[in-house]
Amino acid sequence: MFKLIKSAFLGALGLAFAATAYADFTFVSWGGAYTMSQQKGYIDTWDDRKNGISVENYNGGLGEVRAQVESGNVIWDVVDILPSDAIAGCDEGLFEELDWSTFPEAPGGVSYVDSIPENGTGSSGPISACAAPQIWWTYVVFFDPSAFPGKKPKRIKDFYDTKKFPGKRGIHTWASANLEMALVADGVKANKVYDVLETPEGIDRAFAKLDTIKDDVVFWSAGAQPLELVKSGEVVMSIAYNGRVGAAKLSEGANFDYIWEGQVLEGDWVAIVKGSPNKDEAIEFLKHATTCEAQAEQAKYITYGPLRTCGLDIIKKNEPWFHTGVNVLEHMPNTKKKVKRSVFANPAFWADNGTEIGERFSAWMGK
Amino acid sequence: MNQSAKSEILTTDGIPLKISLKRAERLNKIRAFALVLPLALFIIITFAFPILSMLLRSVDDKQINTVFPKTFEVYKQWDRKDLPPEELYASMFHEILSAEKLQIGKASTRMNYSKSGWKSLLKKSKRKFKKIKEGPYKEQMIKADKRWGQIEFWKALGEMVDPITFGYYLNAVDLKYDSDKNVIQQPENRRVYNSTWIKTLKVSVLVTLFTLLLGYPVAYLLATLPLKLSNLLMIFVLLPFWTSLLVRTVSWIVILMQKGIFNSILVWGGVIADENRMQLIYNQTGTLIAMTQILLPFMVLPLYSVMKTIPPTYMRAALNLGAKPMHAFYRVYFPQSVPGISAGGLLVFVLAIGYFITPALVGGKDGQLIGHWIAYHLKTSLNWGLCSALGGILLVVMLVLYWVYNKVVGIENIKLG
Repeated sequence: MFKLIKSAFLGALGLAFAATAYADFTFVSWGGAYTMSQQKGYIDTWDDRKNGISVENYNGGLGEVRAQVESGNVIWDVVDILPSDAIAGCDEGLFEELDWSTFPEAPGGVSYVDSIPENGTGSSGPISACAAPQIWWTYVVFFDPSAFPGKKPKRIKDFYDTKKFPGKRGIHTWASANLEMALVADGVKANKVYDVLETPEGIDRAFAKLDTIKDDVVFWSAGAQPLELVKSGEVVMSIAYNGRVGAAKLSEGANFDYIWEGQVLEGDWVAIVKGSPNKDEAIEFLKHATTCEAQAEQAKYITYGPLRTCGLDIIKKNEPWFHTGVNVLEHMPNTKKKVKRSVFANPAFWADNGTEIGERFSAWMGK
Repeated sequence: MNQSAKSEILTTDGIPLKISLKRAERLNKIRAFALVLPLALFIIITFAFPILSMLLRSVDDKQINTVFPKTFEVYKQWDRKDLPPEELYASMFHEILSAEKLQIGKASTRMNYSKSGWKSLLKKSKRKFKKIKEGPYKEQMIKADKRWGQIEFWKALGEMVDPITFGYYLNAVDLKYDSDKNVIQQPENRRVYNSTWIKTLKVSVLVTLFTLLLGYPVAYLLATLPLKLSNLLMIFVLLPFWTSLLVRTVSWIVILMQKGIFNSILVWGGVIADENRMQLIYNQTGTLIAMTQILLPFMVLPLYSVMKTIPPTYMRAALNLGAKPMHAFYRVYFPQSVPGISAGGLLVFVLAIGYFITPALVGGKDGQLIGHWIAYHLKTSLNWGLCSALGGILLVVMLVLYWVYNKVVGIENIKLG
């Protein structure tokens, strides 16, 4: 009886989540300029497609995927996911495992696995056996220089210094990246951040640093908000996704500056939902979408960096690369100089501690 | 007896009328039932089953018992004072090695709820234990990862011994089990749910009150003004109702920001100083204002449809008989509009208590309601047990309020027109 109820419920949930009609091949991503860049970089350049591709948007998280897999009613084929979900989804059997030896090599005989640089797990190569590489993106601090007539903020510690740089700060409503950036501002080396966070004292230290700006914080929850906050003068500085800032600068000519220090560098990945009806085609799609050329092509339309190093090499050789005819590399988060000053987001740490720290962060917000 | 049989009325076919009528009625009943059946099935499949399944999920704790059955048998004998005996280590070791990778993944997700760190510990152990050839295991395991030597991890298993748990419900009200299944409070910096529950109720009640205060006069005007004017007014009520929820929420951000329209007008008018601009958004105030405006039509429309049925002659009669306007309104008009207040109030309250998008966008530091946590655990943490428990409590809260409401107001007093 329980089984029956369960499958009925999951079936209904699966149906509800996938209210749209069946398409031949469904690619699910985050929407906006990012999905548009994927459309142009991967889908439009894919000549081997058998059927139509329908692109859908979602809001992240594995809720929909889990409901589809557990109900056996799989409608999505390929999903664009964060590192933590790439790992958790693979552990829970929500995604298909992939055979990297069949994936395209980089020039010079560099194997597929070796062409993916270290990405927070401590070693190079794909983050999990199920996920193929997409892009690098960061949480980064940015500001409108006209808000600071005198000295401009340069270091991450300036973000937490409301005496030297008075005014409100925009930060997001969840804990990840907030704690890391606070620690870097407090003097922790970028590559030692998680060693500090692993200890209870380290977490206290991060919260103590956040306390110093608590009264001047405006919290945002959607990626477009920080740009609006800074543009309107509601806050003088904010944390944001670097691609959003880049798009505002390059496409709309907004006058923003970044603070490239302590930014939290995270990958983005694509995976095939377990039981996908178009598995073979999906694998071919992933192979195409992660070729060095397709990776570079996507970066013409957004300032997220290709995850495979060979994609970045193509851009380096061919600047100005952005589709409007300007240089794009200086806006990408994964150039050598910027990577040195970045914190590699550690998905394993957040898989272990995400809920606990998340609750604490919420309690802190409401205090 | 014979007499009555004889006096029975027969139809033209010679069948007693009673039976014939019953037959016809039965057919009608079947027909009626057949008509209702699709809807009934639809409701059972999409409403009753999911709710039942959700409630089952909120107490189900079999996930890990099935992965480590022997370990949990041995676990029951452990005194939980010092580190466990070799026997427990050994059975844990074997069961980690023999379990499928997927099972370990699922079990570790569950175990991580009770103690952060289990997830990586199990994953790492699954990899490292392959190198351990023979016992004794205890020391080798601790060498592989020092967390095996920390009693907190072992103790955390205690709450998962039984296949059925109330742990998720406890979790949803800032309590938890200790290793002996005694109920204790969560550590202070993790207590977020109770305050969110209170906040959710508070905001819902306030929004209901505000919509009533704002909506009552509007509905009154709608019902009493001449048709031409009231139609225009109705469009003003409905226009925002037809506008996307997201657009209205974002408009409020533009209006209420510190550098926004409202504050700027006040500064320009000299009401407040430039440096004292009010923080009206990204906090609970913002949630209240935006939700009140967005839910206003749900109050106005039921009120209007009830008020429309109140004959204006009653008020005139009361005035004619010498009642002062306020008195006449209070004694004659208001009581007749109560069914509309009840309907609107219930509608707004029910919608407000589960509100998600608006608080997420304008709630900022302290304006998030319980819907935030339900979404978080459904999509991000994947803790569907806790998610279901939160939903279950929300359901119970609603039912209790409905019951109280029925006692106080009476459900038959609700009218939508």
